[in-house]
Amino acid sequence: MSLNQHYDLAIIGAGPAGMAAAVEASKNNLKVLVLDDQPAVGGQVYRQIDKNYHNSDELSYLGEDYWLGKKLVDNFWHSSAELLSESRVWQITRDKLIFFSQKGLAHQVQADFILISTGAMERPMPIPGWTLPGVMSVGGAQTLLKSNNSGVDGAVFAGSGPLFYLTIWQYLIAGLKIVAVVDTAPARLSLHHYLRAIPALLQLNLLLKGLRWKSYIRKNTKYFSQVRKVSISGQFAAESLSFIDRYGESKKLFASHIFLHQGVVPNVNLTMATGLKHYWCPRQLCWHPETNIYGESSLKGVFVAGDGSGIAGVGAAILSGKTAAKRIFQYSRRPPIFSIFLSKFKRYRHAAARPFLDNLFRPPKDWRVPFDDETIVCRCEALKKADISLAISLGVAGPNQLKSFCRAGMGRCQGRMCGLTIQQMIADHNNLLEKDIGYFRLRPPIRPLTVGELASMADENVPAK
Amino acid sequence: MSLQSNKILIIGGGIQGCATAYFLAKRGQNVTLIEKDRIGRHASGVNAGGVRRLGRDVLEIPLSLAAMDIWQNLYQEIGEYAKDFHPCFYLKVAVDEAGREIGLMRAEDLSRAGFTHEVWVEDDHIQARLPHLSTPTHGGLLVEGDGWATPWRIVQGFANVAKKHGAKIIEDCRVTSLTKFQDFWQIQTAKGLFEAESVVNCAGAWAAGIARLADDHIFPLEAYAPMLVVTDKRPKILPAVMGVVAHTLSLKQLETGQFVIGGGVRSKASPSINQSDVLLPKLSSSMKLASKLFSEIGNAQVVRCWSGIEGYMPDNLPIIGRGRQNGLFHGFGFSAHGFQLGPGVGEALADLVMGQQPRISLEAFRPDRFVN
Repeated sequence: MSLNQHYDLAIIGAGPAGMAAAVEASKNNLKVLVLDDQPAVGGQVYRQIDKNYHNSDELSYLGEDYWLGKKLVDNFWHSSAELLSESRVWQITRDKLIFFSQKGLAHQVQADFILISTGAMERPMPIPGWTLPGVMSVGGAQTLLKSNNSGVDGAVFAGSGPLFYLTIWQYLIAGLKIVAVVDTAPARLSLHHYLRAIPALLQLNLLLKGLRWKSYIRKNTKYFSQVRKVSISGQFAAESLSFIDRYGESKKLFASHIFLHQGVVPNVNLTMATGLKHYWCPRQLCWHPETNIYGESSLKGVFVAGDGSGIAGVGAAILSGKTAAKRIFQYSRRPPIFSIFLSKFKRYRHAAARPFLDNLFRPPKDWRVPFDDETIVCRCEALKKADISLAISLGVAGPNQLKSFCRAGMGRCQGRMCGLTIQQMIADHNNLLEKDIGYFRLRPPIRPLTVGELASMADENVPAK
Repeated sequence: MSLQSNKILIIGGGIQGCATAYFLAKRGQNVTLIEKDRIGRHASGVNAGGVRRLGRDVLEIPLSLAAMDIWQNLYQEIGEYAKDFHPCFYLKVAVDEAGREIGLMRAEDLSRAGFTHEVWVEDDHIQARLPHLSTPTHGGLLVEGDGWATPWRIVQGFANVAKKHGAKIIEDCRVTSLTKFQDFWQIQTAKGLFEAESVVNCAGAWAAGIARLADDHIFPLEAYAPMLVVTDKRPKILPAVMGVVAHTLSLKQLETGQFVIGGGVRSKASPSINQSDVLLPKLSSSMKLASKLFSEIGNAQVVRCWSGIEGYMPDNLPIIGRGRQNGLFHGFGFSAHGFQLGPGVGEALADLVMGQQPRISLEAFRPDRFVN
């Protein structure tokens, strides 16, 4: 076994929530370890901000909100928290042992408290042709900008959601050419939407920013709204994207790069595999770990903060990281006196627009379950919708039993790509609610781990700082 | 609630229960199998699928050989499902001199007992058959014709052919009480009341609980969860199932190219809540051995780790035979090596229930052997 180091608090993920928690906890002299799987801190939102900051004039297209992250990252560097980067956490036990691999070796650490801040992942958009080379997620398109300071010229963007508009806006400002924007949001606003919009006015800035992006996009791209039946075709790679426009006309656009997006969902693989309780959030159409206002999960001493506990955006993520760190400090050093009302209010204010946005960009079923039988659902095992429908019709009660019948969800992505789609398909077939169907039973390792890395735990070794 | 009357009721839808149901139904018996979860949901459906005679306790070899007769003609029994059994060869190599001594001694014991299926081979033989091996060995034990199967499919196969022969299979049907009357049993379950002349307890890790409900022997059965991992797809280099003498490792490569690495390293199990843990680092020594045998495996990515809840006996031998109570039969406690035995156990239990003499002696597996 590797050296068994002990920390007051171990934080998984150095995004906004994780860094904010590390800063706060270090202020209170807690011994903090941060494990992050990327080579540089920042998470998805502030990816590569240290490197890009030197170039901020040229990279102004990344937007003001991005540069705001620099202060948080600097505070993080000035804190006493230890960082182990390129460290992939693949198992957390109930006894709060953390196992991770780094540079070909596996290690373990022990912590009194654990904060899981592993963020969100993009909801897959399983439409015909989504697995062809040349098709990427919009998040991937944005990663190109942040990590490589380059993008793809001549792409089609299809989907909807805040990140969708932001990324297109960034591409346009960066001077990249966009063939067309195909907006899948059902545009009609109901009374329900307007009612939801009232509290959202607390985050007026955010709403206005969104409207500004959208109007800029409408003016500067070929823009199609309220589209249906989007599909991608091509023999060996993406060649074109077809859809039906709002007037019922079939359209076909030629492009070898297509970026898809249907919003983001919490990345629950670690929280589920750790055995935390989760609940189905019908508004965001995904699972959330059960937490109280401080981010405490159903497992004593394990906290969840940031988008991993429910999509609420970067401001709320930072706040939730801080709140969790304060609570942990109270537990470890002095009795809790923190005002629950204050933190509830702050949390509310930082996520006030969320219900409105969730409803506005709620992906309709066509984008969550393929409308076409031949579309791949489980990428790892190359299973089409028809294969999965057939297995479900044999009397499968839930996603776990489905594994035995057709191996769906048993590949290396561990259901990240197909889990929500399969859950919906089983719910539909049995006429039940998604929450009653449940999700894959997730088990470690939840991140890539080689046999050699695991074998290294039979010997003594020390992680690289 | 309606009362369902049966001649024979089997409790437990693992391989033992399903094979027993099959042999009974095939012989025209009125048989019902009840399972508290789903067919093949626990150890029978999620084990490593090793079909081996190699390395068996000498007391267990006759049963294992009898089972192998059925495996070798599996198509005649379960039809299409039999294609999920892949015979090859099973090799347990010695990686040091100590291992060689243990292995040679084993080979000698077997030959003295008159068994010829498991033999000692030297390194040159091993290297010739496994050209991708990354290390010289100190020889090893070999069984031709042993192999591996997709366990869930085999269990499903026995369940389905049992049904074809008229057996009833009822899932999600947990037993809550078992009461013996003059000459029949009354069984209260989540799906109503059953009556049966004979009850067969194949409830795996839960079997001691069933015995307790029936006021039978107290069995020192313990539950653990043996762990397994499967890797991503890799070029084919291993045409055999492998183990290492005196180590817990079982290693095979599936047709997809994925490696399955296990060998019985146990993790915690909580049978009452159907929960089993996996603690990957416990497998580190097995991983080290696997990568030593084939350095290529070190680069493979662990895709999944899982475990199934299994019942273990203190002497690692199963319980097979009549219970203390009349009309109660047991077949459980296989201690993580019961999958290959399954068809043989099914046949033997069917014999017992029908009052016939099984073709092999079950003396070593007597249910009352732990009664003082």
